Amino acid sequence: MKQYLLFILMILPGLSFSDEIKGKVYAKEGSDTQPLPGVNIYWEGSTKGTTSAADGSFSISQKNEQHMLVFSFVGFEKKVVHVHEMAALEVVLEPNLEIEEVKVVKKNRGTYLSTINPIQVENISGAELHKAACCNLAESFETNPSVDMSYSDAITGARQIKLLGLDGTYSLMQIENMPNLRGLATTFGLTYIPGPWMESIQVSKGAASVVNGYDAIAGQINAELKKPDSDEKLFLNLFGNIDGRLEFNGNGNIKVKGDTLTTGIFVHGHDLSKRNDHNHDGFLDEPMSKMFQVGNRWKYNNQKGYMAQAYLNILTEERLGGQKDVEWNMEPSISNPYGVNIKNDRIDAFFKSGYTFNRGKSAVAWLSNFSRHETESFYGLTHYDADETRFYANAVLTQDLDEYALHVLNAGASFVYDDFNEAIYDQNIKRTEKVPGLFAEYTFKPNPNLTLMAGLRTDFHNLFGTFVTPRMHFRYHFAEHFTVRTSAGKGYRTANVLSENVYLLSGSRPLQWTEDALQEEAWNYGFAFIQNYTLLGRELTLNAEFFRTNFDTQLIVDRETSADFVKLMPLNGTSFANSLQFDLRWQPIERLDMLLAYRINNIKQTIGGNLVDKPLSNDYKGLINLNYTTRLKKWMFDYTAQFNGGGRIPTYPGEANTGALTFDPYIVMNAQVTKYFRYWSVYLGSENLTDFTQHHPIQGADDPFGPNFDATKVWGPVMGRKIYLGLRFNLNYE
Amino acid sequence: MKKLVLMTVVLLIGIVSNPLYAQKEGNKVVCFKSNMDCSHCEKTLSEYLKFEKGVKNLKVDHVSNTIRVEYKDGKNTDEALAKAVEKKGYKAEKISTEAYDKIVAHVKEAGHEHEHEQHKERE
Repeated sequence: MKQYLLFILMILPGLSFSDEIKGKVYAKEGSDTQPLPGVNIYWEGSTKGTTSAADGSFSISQKNEQHMLVFSFVGFEKKVVHVHEMAALEVVLEPNLEIEEVKVVKKNRGTYLSTINPIQVENISGAELHKAACCNLAESFETNPSVDMSYSDAITGARQIKLLGLDGTYSLMQIENMPNLRGLATTFGLTYIPGPWMESIQVSKGAASVVNGYDAIAGQINAELKKPDSDEKLFLNLFGNIDGRLEFNGNGNIKVKGDTLTTGIFVHGHDLSKRNDHNHDGFLDEPMSKMFQVGNRWKYNNQKGYMAQAYLNILTEERLGGQKDVEWNMEPSISNPYGVNIKNDRIDAFFKSGYTFNRGKSAVAWLSNFSRHETESFYGLTHYDADETRFYANAVLTQDLDEYALHVLNAGASFVYDDFNEAIYDQNIKRTEKVPGLFAEYTFKPNPNLTLMAGLRTDFHNLFGTFVTPRMHFRYHFAEHFTVRTSAGKGYRTANVLSENVYLLSGSRPLQWTEDALQEEAWNYGFAFIQNYTLLGRELTLNAEFFRTNFDTQLIVDRETSADFVKLMPLNGTSFANSLQFDLRWQPIERLDMLLAYRINNIKQTIGGNLVDKPLSNDYKGLINLNYTTRLKKWMFDYTAQFNGGGRIPTYPGEANTGALTFDPYIVMNAQVTKYFRYWSVYLGSENLTDFTQHHPIQGADDPFGPNFDATKVWGPVMGRKIYLGLRFNLNYE
Repeated sequence: MKKLVLMTVVLLIGIVSNPLYAQKEGNKVVCFKSNMDCSHCEKTLSEYLKFEKGVKNLKVDHVSNTIRVEYKDGKNTDEALAKAVEKKGYKAEKISTEAYDKIVAHVKEAGHEHEHEQHKERE
């Protein structure tokens, strides 16, 4: 034994002189990590160093006196690690958010598909938001393969999005990870978030985490607003297009107390007073509108694990559409022109805070928001007035169950309060939802290649009773180039029957409904297969995914069985949606990003006893998106082509002058050029470059108060080519 | 048709294999030794210098603490570029391209050349 010890003592000094330290460097991405190649690794105070290999691994020799190992990489916080044992190192670098995006000369991919998140997520960064006119959230998806955007009707200018081919209402809309833009804000809410206010958008497909609620059926779309502690000092944006739309956006950050207490101020205003009728049907192509909103956000970060944020936003908006000679403050009457007038006033607030303790192994978070929304409107002769008060709170505890965070538990409680008052057709409808809920989600990550996530929540709804939401996610990076993901989960949502379908009032038939609120229920299953390669030295990503949504209960909009009413009825039969998508991302030549995507939609509903294609839905969508920047990113060129498939146009038996029963595939193109200066950038672009429009989107436009009038049979672009010019000014803290 | 494909391929390869830092005719190159030391400073300086007059290509590196600027001759001068670097608060000690190449090659090989005392990083 003694001899043995002596032997060890003899070789110890030798070892300590030429120790080889080995390890792996990871990049933190959201709540997960991914190997990071090319990291500079060196001993503090020395000139000797190395860089990490393609899989993030490294080895470096250690001399006696050297024990502080430095890790540095562009775009990440530098990290110094005290090396005091021989065990392999695992180092995680945190992204340095302050120098992300614009500041990086190296090309910044606008969208990327994460391979480490167990949920299929596409991230739309600030760089991507610069690629298109992008006046607001609704218009931010032009370059995105998964989200489709369309007009609800040909009068109000309301935009709809679709995810997996399903209406936007089946996706949980979030702002800063809290549900928002629902209820009364469903129809116009997407236009309430100005593009320049947003930092990034995350589009998650399929079942979402139970932590966020039971609502996400098709997926979840989260918009992150700009953070007050970012290094943006002042940002101004002016925008105008040839149809007379003028827009102003501005935001600025003030460091009230260093990086500890910061505040951001947001301003938005737009105006469209010009009357445009390019197709000469006597109706405005888009409504005249004005909007004004201001926001103020505060962030407190004690840099020791506690963080709190608060936000307040006030919005007022009014739009007037219809026949060309409508007037503001006009009384709706047959002797006046046909008009649609909508006024919205809204207050939004949120408060969220988080505390990390126990050496980062435990965290508690509190997320809450409040909104008050008032709407006053008329569509032709029909008035619709409503108000909504909504409160949401969510408390989440995240706990690592072991030293290496192989097992993580998320658990907590939530509460939703939603009070609705609506007035239509001389009826007053009142409704209050109160939903306390409990949830738990377990994540198992035995190694960086495998993630299993299982969640369960129970909600106690005052109107619809108690219901259980199970959801499951699985990700496996099973070989060098291949990752698979599967998900399955249940989702529920309250369909606010009238407020979500109010645009249907732009037609001659009145609405008929059985219940003013209906709980929809569906299962969603998803499978994705992602391949990553390096081709000509640049990353190539191939993605194939399939999602199926099966509805148990659903609100069906039936405009096909009755000549007298548009019926809003519960589903009686089957209803499902299949979505099969392929996409490819690559740089064929230096600094040219290319995205090619193709999706097949198969969306069927039982309407009037027959299983039919959902009307006004495209049966496929193709997308080409090209983005080129010059070497020093002084110029940027963007081009997008959308190939939209055909579909079915709804008609009722005996309807006069219906025209075609189907519509044909069509192509929409957008292009933009941006020139960057030191503090300024100028962009010039065109939406709908080829000027393709649905020929006469308003049926019976010559007799708007007659029985044949219908402005809701919209399947294609209502507005033609729109050339726009914009200016951005940007000043940063250094 | 085959010819067209071939030509396209040749053209693409031509673009792809175009060396990144090949100096174009009529352009001048100036190199500096500096003292940035942090990647944040590298970004700031890089974003600033790229909008100096006539700048066609730029390499700012905080690891080797070097700056290499390629600019259109007549549009700018070495001295004005050095001033621009100094305006942002960093040293700009003009060095020859040979010296620059040597430092960069050395750093690539040996790892880091770091003057620890001058760290400007915000902690």
